[in-house]
Amino acid sequence: MTHTFTCDRAANAVSFISTEILSHRLIARDTWQLTVSAPELARRTVPGQFFMVRLAQCNDPLIGRALALYDVSRNAVGERDAISVVYVVKGKFTQSLSRRSLGDKVEIWGPLGNPFSTLATDRLVLVAGGVGITPMLTLASAALGKESYGEPVAPSGYAKRVTLCYGARTAEYLAGLDQFEARGVDVRVATEDGSMGHRGRVTEVLEELLQQSNNSVRVACCGPEPMMEGVGKVAAKYGVPCEVSLETPMACGIGICFTCVAKIRQEDGEWDYRRTCLEGPVFPADKVVW
Amino acid sequence: MKTPMSASQPAPKDALTNESISLQVQLGRLKLKNPVLVASGTFGYAKEMAGLIDLPKLGGILPKTITHHARPGNAPWRTVETSAGLLNAIGLDNDGIDYFIENHWPYLKGTGADIIVSIAGKSHEDFIVLAERLSPLGLFAIELNVSCPNVSGGIDFGTDPVACHRVVSGVRNVIDCPIITKLTPNVTSIAEIAKAAHEAGTDAVTCINTVLGMAIDWRRQRPLLANTVGGLSGPAIKPIALRCVYQVASKVAVPIIGVGGIATIDDAMEFFVAGASAIQIGTANYYDPLVSIRLIEALPSAIRTLGASGLSEVIGTLKSPGSVAVKK
Repeated sequence: MTHTFTCDRAANAVSFISTEILSHRLIARDTWQLTVSAPELARRTVPGQFFMVRLAQCNDPLIGRALALYDVSRNAVGERDAISVVYVVKGKFTQSLSRRSLGDKVEIWGPLGNPFSTLATDRLVLVAGGVGITPMLTLASAALGKESYGEPVAPSGYAKRVTLCYGARTAEYLAGLDQFEARGVDVRVATEDGSMGHRGRVTEVLEELLQQSNNSVRVACCGPEPMMEGVGKVAAKYGVPCEVSLETPMACGIGICFTCVAKIRQEDGEWDYRRTCLEGPVFPADKVVW
Repeated sequence: MKTPMSASQPAPKDALTNESISLQVQLGRLKLKNPVLVASGTFGYAKEMAGLIDLPKLGGILPKTITHHARPGNAPWRTVETSAGLLNAIGLDNDGIDYFIENHWPYLKGTGADIIVSIAGKSHEDFIVLAERLSPLGLFAIELNVSCPNVSGGIDFGTDPVACHRVVSGVRNVIDCPIITKLTPNVTSIAEIAKAAHEAGTDAVTCINTVLGMAIDWRRQRPLLANTVGGLSGPAIKPIALRCVYQVASKVAVPIIGVGGIATIDDAMEFFVAGASAIQIGTANYYDPLVSIRLIEALPSAIRTLGASGLSEVIGTLKSPGSVAVKK
């Protein structure tokens, strides 16, 4: 075991706000896009980072949930002033949240975690499974230079082309396809039942794409763990760098509870439990011990 | 007939201002600038919170418990949310005393905050070795975690008064700083354990560590925690913590630090009235990270509500239930 402690939180202030819901809409089956007023978070957050979201003044559900940045919107004069997150209704928290409407308060703190890398590439392939689609919209926008994020502004326009490989159970669970297409993303879909696109796994779509590709490619992935493990293996087979954004359950999001640990391979080759909220959620796929 | 106001009556509440209210408290040899501490295991190593909180404003910071040797901690899932509570079995994930002294201590010392180092041992000797290693650092205070429910053997020192007495007196022999002993509620009589710690020379006791519990996914017929059982914290355990503070305060003359579900100024005041001289904020740090500073700011006004001029006039002022209607 090695013992590196990495945390630059002191240099990276977290803002905590109580804010109003600006828009709350169903964008796919059981899947909601929540938009809140948050000018500072809208300016500072970069693709791959996340927030903790909690129902204001509520003891049950008590704990916040980690939700990734989905989109940033601008006001009438073009300033970034609101953020969106996406969630699937699954348990007590998401059920309660889905019943909140315009003007209701939520508490949000962030921006949290480390973003996806912004290295130049001919083609950036985004692989998403289910609600793992969330971090991909801003990532695609930044990579294609359609939008810039962060303060100071993070690099953008670093990929010549972006392809999204998106897997879901059925077509009705696919969220935001039109938003990706509107930003110039080449979208390829896989559904388990074949109700849209390739019938089967998204890893099969990825493999076909990598087989045909002879330019420089990078992969960014988010979804259920078995899928991310599979994507990591396919990427390794074709010698393509791959980053995964882990969705480990979190309680605080800020590194104080040690809930969200994942087995991460250290420099000496051994694994150690590392906090996903501080050292991730984005990791190189080959560092994760699945 | 009403008696007219006499000059000997205390000054009316209006004469006190928030600025004139003293928040300083003394617990044995331990002197706190204010009574709001953050509980061990719920504040990382403080560095994680530096971007959110002005650390020296806190009454004290208890970093995550340190053990003699590094421990990887338990497998995930390590926490599960329950009704108004959080069940955890982190398993004292830490890099051991040597790593702590080399890597965390310089930062902690440099924050300017009062740091209370929490230690846990699997054996009596572990506690002594840890205290010996920490002694040259000139600690503000040390907290003995004799009550972690997630470590095999860890809880014995908190449930057996003889073992508890021996650990506290052993540590006292090797370190000069004030000692706090953190007690478990998972005993028949917490006052009995508090008494043993007090007689062994602890400056204060912390009441309480988490309450042993479990959560089950019946469809999969499995426990939700990888460790099967864990410690419950959060608002769900506040009544248990208050009861423990009250029982220790009634039976033992040891200063008490109350902890368990504190998240609002009302929660905090209930603990002071029950007999706590200070409080620790635990799980609330996770879901309301600025809570500790907010409580410190709210305290003077709450103390004035009781007509007191300082926190010390509020501690342990619980009255008897008063008149109760009796059914004939």
